[in-house]
Formats: sequence, C-alpha cells, structure tokens
Amino acid sequence: MRLYFKYDMSKAYKVILGEQFDKLGIPYTFIAFGEVEVAPGINNEQIIKLSEALNVYGIDLIESQKNILIQKIKDAIIELVYRDEKLSNSKVSSYLAKKLNHSYGYLSNLFSELTFSSIENYIIIQKIERAKQLITTEEITFSEIAWRLNYSSVAHFSAQFKNVTGLTPTAFQRIIKKRREISKAD
Amino acid sequence: MRQKFSYASSFLLKSIFVASLFVLIFISGVSYNHTVALTESSELVVHSYEVHLELDQLFSYVKDAEIGHHSFVISGDSVFLQPFDEARDKISKSFIKLIKLAADKKQQQANLDSLYELISLRLGQMANSFTHKAGTRMDQIQIDREMLWGRDVMNSIRTQINSMIALEAQYLNTQQQKYKYETLFTPLITLMLLIFSLTVFSFSYYRISNDLENLRETNKELMISTESIKHAEKIGEFSTWQWELETGKLVYSDNQYQLLGCQPQSFEPSLEKYLEFVHPDDRHIFTVGNDPEKINKDTSVAFYRIIRKDGQTRFFKSIGKLLKDSKGKRIMIGINCDVTDQHLSSIALEERNRELEQSNKELASFNHIASHDLQEPLRKVQTFISRILENDSDHFTESGKESFSKIQSAVGRMRMLIDDLLLFSRANKAEKIFQKSDLNQLLENAKAELAQRIEEKNAIINSTSLPELQVIPFQIQQLFINLIENSLKYSRPDVQIRIDISCEKTNLQNHPVFKSINNKQFYKITVSDNGLGFEQQYADSLFVLFYRLHPPNEYPGTGIGLAICKKIVENHSGFIEAKGQPGKGSSFMIYLPE
Amino acid sequence: MQEDLIHILLADDDEDDRLLFRDAFEEIRLKTKVDTVNDGVELMAYLNRKEIILPHILFLDLNMPRKNGMECLSEIRRLDHLKDIAVAIYSTSASADDIEDTFVKGANVYIKKPSDFAKLREILQHVVSINWQYHTSGLNRDNFILSL
Repeated sequence: MRLYFKYDMSKAYKVILGEQFDKLGIPYTFIAFGEVEVAPGINNEQIIKLSEALNVYGIDLIESQKNILIQKIKDAIIELVYRDEKLSNSKVSSYLAKKLNHSYGYLSNLFSELTFSSIENYIIIQKIERAKQLITTEEITFSEIAWRLNYSSVAHFSAQFKNVTGLTPTAFQRIIKKRREISKAD
Repeated sequence: MRQKFSYASSFLLKSIFVASLFVLIFISGVSYNHTVALTESSELVVHSYEVHLELDQLFSYVKDAEIGHHSFVISGDSVFLQPFDEARDKISKSFIKLIKLAADKKQQQANLDSLYELISLRLGQMANSFTHKAGTRMDQIQIDREMLWGRDVMNSIRTQINSMIALEAQYLNTQQQKYKYETLFTPLITLMLLIFSLTVFSFSYYRISNDLENLRETNKELMISTESIKHAEKIGEFSTWQWELETGKLVYSDNQYQLLGCQPQSFEPSLEKYLEFVHPDDRHIFTVGNDPEKINKDTSVAFYRIIRKDGQTRFFKSIGKLLKDSKGKRIMIGINCDVTDQHLSSIALEERNRELEQSNKELASFNHIASHDLQEPLRKVQTFISRILENDSDHFTESGKESFSKIQSAVGRMRMLIDDLLLFSRANKAEKIFQKSDLNQLLENAKAELAQRIEEKNAIINSTSLPELQVIPFQIQQLFINLIENSLKYSRPDVQIRIDISCEKTNLQNHPVFKSINNKQFYKITVSDNGLGFEQQYADSLFVLFYRLHPPNEYPGTGIGLAICKKIVENHSGFIEAKGQPGKGSSFMIYLPE
Repeated sequence: MQEDLIHILLADDDEDDRLLFRDAFEEIRLKTKVDTVNDGVELMAYLNRKEIILPHILFLDLNMPRKNGMECLSEIRRLDHLKDIAVAIYSTSASADDIEDTFVKGANVYIKKPSDFAKLREILQHVVSINWQYHTSGLNRDNFILSL
C-alpha cells in the first residue's frame, strides 16, 4: 500500500523551525517564508548549532545576502503559484519588484547570474509543478487548471506542459494513474 | 404448423364420429319408439272397437233375452224360453270376453261389475217371472209390472253400456291424443337430427378429403425432401444414421454405404462392421466412446479416419445426438461427414498461417533492426560530424565545409526516412487496442505535440466539437499530427496559415467512391487549410508510400506521412480522401465508422 | 552534505556513447563526477556495493546485454536503498508507448539520444539542473517526469 500526501511546506517549515529555535532558547519571529527575525545578541556557536540541527531536515541556513534575495524571489514565486485562488493577472514583475523592494531588472539579472536560469523560466517550471500537483491530487479538468494558472487556453497550457515535461498533460495523468495502480497491486 | 393442424383434424374427426354414433343411436331409439307407439295406437283402436262391439253384442243378447222374455210373458209359451236361455249363455261368454278386454282398466272393470249386476238383476227378474209363471198366464197388472221393471232395468243397462262405450271412446281419444302428440314431434326431431347428421357427415367428409389432400401434399413434400436429403448427402458427402442403444440396431442412409465405397444397403449395418472400415489407429475412439451403457452425453463428436473399400483413406467427422423415444428407449441419431477436403485444406491453411506468422516475425525483427541497429550507427555518424563541425571546422577548406554539410543533410534525411518508416510499420503492427476516446482530447494532444511548430508558423487552428469514438488513441493522435504537420509544411509563405477541423455525420450513401455497407453511419472529419493545395489528379497518389509532389530540397519530407494516415484510417475501417486546389488549399476528409 | 559535486552514473554497453557522454559533461559548467558501467549486471553490482556514494542521477541505456535497462529499472525501484535515485533512460529510440511504459515502471526522465553533440550537452545539462531543482527545492519527486 502507498499513501499519497499533499503538504503545506510553509507550515511544516514553521513547525520544525519553531521547535529548533525553542530547543536552543532563541527568541524568534517569522518575517516571511524562509526568513526569521532573531534577537541581535545571538552568538556564532548558537548559529552553528541551529544550522546543524536544521540540516537534518534539509533546511539550510543561508548567509549570503544575494542568496537570501534569490531565495526570497523563489519563495515569492512559489507563494504566488501555490495560492489556492486563481493566479492573479497582474504582472509578476511588478509583483516581485513591489514585494522585494528592488527593481525587476536587478532581480532578474541577479537570478540569472546565480541560478543559470531566468525568473520567467523558474515561474514556468513552478507553474507546471503546480499543474502536476493539481493533476495528481485533485479531480479537476485541464481547462480549470489552465484557468487557475492563468493560461489563455487549454491548448496554451497543454503546449507549455508538453514543452517543459516532454509529455502532454493527458500522458502525464495516465502515467501517474498507472503507477498508482501498480503500487496498489503490490 | 401442418403437423399441428392434422393432429387437430384427427381429434375433430374422432369427436364427430362419436357424436354421430350417438345421434344414430338416438335416432334409432326414437324411430323404434315411434313404431311401437303406432302399433300400440292401432291395437288400442282395435281394442276399443272390440270393446264397443262386444258391448253392443252384449246389449243385443240382453235384448234377445228381453224379447224372449217379453214373448213368453205375453204368450206364456215356453217355446220363447229357448232364445232366452241361448242369450244367457252368450251373455256369460260376452262378459268373460269383456272382463278380459277390460283387464287393464279399473274404471271399466267397475263399470263392468255394475253392468254385470244390472244384467244379473234383469236376468234374475226374468228367471223369476218364469218360475212364477210356469204354466199360468199372468194377469195384465202383473204383466204391466213386469214390463215396467224390465223397461227400467233395460234403460239402466243401456245407459250403463252407453257410458261404458263413451268411456272406452274417451280412453281411445286420450290415448290417441297422446300418440298424436308423440308422433307429431318425433318426425320433426328425426328430421332435425338427420339434417344435423348429414351436416356433420358432409363436414367430416370435407375434412377427411382435405386431410387426405394435405397428406398427399405432405407426402409429396416428404418425398421431395427425402430425395433432396439424399442428393444433399451425396453432394455434401455426409450420411445419416440411427442407432438404438438398447438393441444395438443400426440404420444407415444410402449414402453411408457410398461414403464407405460400397453399394447402398449392401450389408447389414452394425458397429462391428463399421469398425472394420475405421483406420486401426482410430478404432480406440469407438471402443472407448461407444459403450452403450456409458453414453450419456447429449451430443458427441468424433474425428477419425476411414479406409474405404477401394483402399482410400478418408477423414470422417461424426456427430451424434442422444434422444429418448416415448417409451424411454435411447436412440442416437447422427451424421457422418467426409471432411477429407476440409481437413486437407485446413492443414494447408495452417501451414500458410505458420509461414505468415514466420514472415511477420521476420518483419517485426526487421523493424527492430531498422529502429535500433540501423539508427545507432547513423546517430553516431551524425554526432561525430556535429563534433567535428563544432570543434574543427575552422581548419577546413571551403569545399570541405560544404561536403561536410552535404554529408550532414544526407545523413539527416536518412535518419528521417528511417524514423518515418518505423512509424509506418508501427501503424501496421498487429497490436491494435481500441478504446473509447474523446477525439477532442486527441486533437489537443496532437496540437500540444506540435505546439512549437504551430507557434513558429503562427498558424491558426480552429476546430468544431469532435465525437467520442472507439479508436486506437495513439494512432488517431498520430493521424491528427500528420495532417496538421502536412498543412504547416505545405503552406503559402505570405499567407497566415489557417487550419479548420470540422466534423459531421454522414452515411456515405451518395459518395462516388466509398460505399458503406448496410447504410452504416460515419463521422466525416475534415481537415482543411489555405496552403499550397495540389492538382486534383494527384489526390489518390498522395497516399502512396514515398510519393511526393515536391522535391525534398524545397519541402523536406519522406512521402510517408500521408501513407501512415491512410493506414491508420484503414485500421479503423474508415476511408480517407483528399481534395486540392492549387494555390488555394487542400482538404483531407476522414470517414470513421460510428 | 557532500559539497556541490553532482554524482552521475551511466550504464551503457556502447563505448562510443560512454565517451560522448563523458565528453559532454566535461564541457558542462557544473561540478559533476561521472562514472560509467558497461551493462546491467555491472550496474546492479556497483549499486549494491556498500562503500560507494549513490549517484544523484543514473543514466540507463535500455538495450544492454545480460541485463537490460528495463530489468535494472524494475530492480532499482524495488530495492529500498536505491528507489530514490533519479533514473534517466538514455536510449536510441522508442515508440511513445514504450516511453510511457518506462515512466510507469518508475523512470524519471526519458532521453532519446540526440544526433548532435551540442544538443547532447544541452540535454544533459538540463536534466541535471532539473534534477537538482527536485533535489533541493522540495518539489514532489513523484511528479518528476521528463521526456526529451
């Protein structure tokens, strides 16, 4: 038997982080996803301990300001894509610029420089990932997915899905279904 | 139907017969009754007249006596006593007769008794007067008294006799009334019954003659069918037999003997005799399967060889069916077929199937060689050429560079040909799993597959709603891909590409080429574009493998795409056709059965 | 965590392909360590050794002598300590049905070996970076299906 989960990353992350901070006795406040405000008196030893403890969960402490910014961009995009309601029509560029308080040009360059990939590309990948998640976990039609993720049409959505994954959404759905049937049979 | 009818008819006839019998008995009874009544009636009349006569006679005797008496009284002469005595005798005899005649009538008997009393009284009186008067004459007063008495008594006697005659007449009358009543109705009833019987008989006659006619017809049919069965047996090389399991009695049709190479009815059929003809290696089939005690299957089938009288070996098939007759006896009826020709041809067919399978396998392995073993070196050639061009092209001479690019394009073309051939052979492959599929979805998939090309060419694709059909999904998807690809490829450079896909239902009744069997409904899917088009005369050639209208350096292609389309449509028992107008566009019509 | 070195393993019986594969990774600006094995039997023996670091991604040719790619794939997906390895099928060509079948059996990526070296480089880089995304960004690995 196999169980399938749908999970809220940010919740899990908050719980884990909270536990570790409490263990080390460090007072904290969540600022945003992946960003925690701590008291100024925190020492290096405590930071190392925290880093080690979080490493077990696959959470890395990022030090570089640039890396932090990249992470913030990614988080903002994920937040945008994974919102339960329809993806807003307003331009992602202005959304990011506003949210992170930097010009979009700067963010875009920084992102390309550090990740070898563009913000647009990252958004597409995240949207397709979100689509995959919707296809596999929820009983909704492709047209609804296309609408939710702000594609102009199913055709457009299917085309982009195919472009990114090499498969049509139908084929993807079929594969996942068959995989589950096989694991059920085991 | 006929069978049922004749059963009913025979039942009807039986009922009619029984009914008629009853009617006849009834008529005889009534007639007898009637005759008896008539006799009785005439007897009664005679009787009545006899009574009447006798009474008259009696009275006349009495009168004779009276006259004698009178004469005696008046004359006193004893000569007149003689008639008186004679009359007395006659009166007695007459009385005896009357008593006999009135034996069965009480009232008449009573009357007779009172008559007797009266007559006795009178005769007594007379005798009295005789004794009184013997020798002496009576005085006038005595005579008057005697006369007066006599007249009174005589009057009573007359009255009595008259009333008796009247009574007898009354008897006669009532009796005759009764007979009259009886005899009045009997002829009517008899007549009616007679008419009824006649009707019944004529109906029976009609039925019987009808039945006879039917029987004759049936006999004729039976004869014809027997003849045709004989004929059929001969032509179809089969025979029929019946086998009574309990007694072992076996009956063969004529052709059974002929199938064994013998003259009809040339030997007494028996299982033992039959086994002599069965191939020794196959006899066990009979010894195992034909023990009468053990046969309990409804039908049994056996295949075996027969060695005919002339030594030829034939293949036989026997099918027996077990029946029970009305007495519960088990009878097996069956047919024997000479299946030698079938057997030999099926062996040949099997052989050919095996060969076909073998060649299919070889073809499949050829496909594998084409797909993998041929592609592998080709791909390496291409890859290494690309590396050389990338790293070392700077050291090449111009002609070397050109040669290299020519090699590259030639290899590329070869690769494309192999890929397309592979697709074509896959469309041929036996693995055809039909699934109910939404053609709209398959078209979407095809468009997604070609998304990049569609975007590059900036093509507009419009489609109306397509049906859900029982198809091989990936093949129909391939069909859409090939047709859209075709439209994208053979477009006019300065015109925005428009591809319209529409669908309608048709029964192909008025189609000049494709005729649908039994008026089947088809979905006609049309894919039309505004591209280069073609001369209509090439329409059919387009679907021929490797056929191309344009040289490959102008429009790269292998001439396989539309051949694949045709193959796919044929796999779905459908049709495909093309219509083109040079410089305006082309349309491809696909007809898929409902 | 092991620095930023990406461990890559290729199982392919064709010497030329192994060579091209290694050359391609040498030209890619990612820190990778490429190992190769010559067939399925060697592959399974290698993966079952205790001292090795399991590859982040395994490239698997389908047509191999002794034990073919499909058999290896099924075995890998059955074994507990191997089932999390990303598997990229690396094959000459196959029908759409065959490709789907490898995904159903647990492959993450299907690469049709390209006929252009530059394209090969591009594809390999793409696969490795996508795999890295799945490895690091908390994406659902069950949905990691990519056909190239």
